Amino acid sequence: MSKSEEYDVLVIGAGISGEEAALNLANQGYKILIVEKDLSVGGKMIHLSKVFPTLDCSACITTPKVSETARHPNITIYTYSEVSNIDKKSKYDFRALLTKHPRYVIEEACTGCQLCEEACPVTVQDQYQYDLVGRKAVYVPFSIANPRVAAIDIENCSLCGACEKVCPADCIDFTQEEEEIQIKVKSVVIATGFKLFDPTLIPRYGFGVFKNVVTAMQMERQLVPTRPYNNVLRPKDGKVPDNIAYVLCAGSRDETVGNPICSQVCCMYSIKQAQLLMGALPMADVTIYYLHIRSFGKGFNEFYQQSKDMGVTFIKGKIGKIEEIEEGNLKLRYEDIESGVVKEANHDMVVLSTGILANDGISSMFKDKLELDPFNYVMQKDILANPAQANIGGVYVAGTASGPMDIPDSILSAGAASAEIAGYLKEGEDHEK
Amino acid sequence: MGKTIDIIKKTRGVPDSVKENMKAFNKIKRQILKSLETEEKTVPQIAQEIDLPLDVVTYHLMTLQKYGNIEAGEVDDMDEFYFYKLKK
Repeated sequence: MSKSEEYDVLVIGAGISGEEAALNLANQGYKILIVEKDLSVGGKMIHLSKVFPTLDCSACITTPKVSETARHPNITIYTYSEVSNIDKKSKYDFRALLTKHPRYVIEEACTGCQLCEEACPVTVQDQYQYDLVGRKAVYVPFSIANPRVAAIDIENCSLCGACEKVCPADCIDFTQEEEEIQIKVKSVVIATGFKLFDPTLIPRYGFGVFKNVVTAMQMERQLVPTRPYNNVLRPKDGKVPDNIAYVLCAGSRDETVGNPICSQVCCMYSIKQAQLLMGALPMADVTIYYLHIRSFGKGFNEFYQQSKDMGVTFIKGKIGKIEEIEEGNLKLRYEDIESGVVKEANHDMVVLSTGILANDGISSMFKDKLELDPFNYVMQKDILANPAQANIGGVYVAGTASGPMDIPDSILSAGAASAEIAGYLKEGEDHEK
Repeated sequence: MGKTIDIIKKTRGVPDSVKENMKAFNKIKRQILKSLETEEKTVPQIAQEIDLPLDVVTYHLMTLQKYGNIEAGEVDDMDEFYFYKLKK
């Protein structure tokens, strides 16, 4: 028989929005359960270099919050776990099934020493470095992961047993199986974040074929201290690039790829990366090909102007095609929108500023029909009066699960969600008295 | 307590793709490390010597760097390519 556990609030997703909502509610005394499908909490923000427009270190902002969440007495976290069958029995009574996938490592015993990684003979692409380097079949996800505990990728494991032989803490356990836990909560927060657009869906950009065409997330990883390479380098040949192009709206504002809306963050993260590149590679030229620059937030336009002052070139142009020429360099064919002329330009590296999309599978977690908007984000029932309320009473949405937004707006959205939930729970407590 | 690997082996096999991938990686790893035994080299120099595509060498070289087998040295005179060497 499976275990059962009871909490006040179930938070689905442990990115910046989920953590913020959980902490706000936990600090008010509510018992919170966070369920995260990944091996670590921290979401996508923990993998970023700096945030715009302040250029503060992203990890320095997010890791204290990650730590606070992980150590909070009112918060329980299940990583590498998923939730399903969320069933509203009555007001303040949701039941759900939590499935905890096996890590094949005893979490409480693992010290994160990584001796198992040294011993493992298997190497596969490291998803946390966006496939730029390899990782082992047994691995600590990344250096600032929380929990900093190894996991075994059983699909790619050679079953050689080397990890188990070398583990000084005896924490490798190949007998672990999937565990199911019945959950009872009063309220649910959907903080499932977003997924990145797959640029192979635009074959004319050559991503995956031309190795020096990378995504902005791959460039982001090259700009963090825990980067995959020793410097910013071209994946094709390890050359230091000196003429880098950014292609904005790669998979956003594009009906042909099924994502007609603006992703809200690509202009600014590209401008941020351009500034960071000019610091990392002082001799490099950086050109941004854009349709419109949307620098709408506080300090954003000044940040945009600053990048121009630093020497970033902006070309209002629509990229038609990218071709590989000699030595891995790339020829961009584009329409210069200002002059209406089709032009060509050569660069030695191209970064696709890929858009963001709604995550799949959110509505299938619920037994009742969870309404989504036309772009598959969670529908906000009353965006002005109760911006976090979903169509199911007691279910709330925080951050980019409700639509594209940047980090400060995600945190604000999570604040709104936690305030609405606190009101909802208080109403229930008053009713019980 | 016996090793738990013996228990999972009774119910689970290793796909051929995993075995092939492991063989390929270890072969390239040996080739790269051997190539760097004599002197430090850039990615194109290693790729030419062991006759593998540049991107394959870059990927494996950087993975070896991540796991501490090799380290980056100086950049060449044109400021284009780093030299890599075995980590002592």
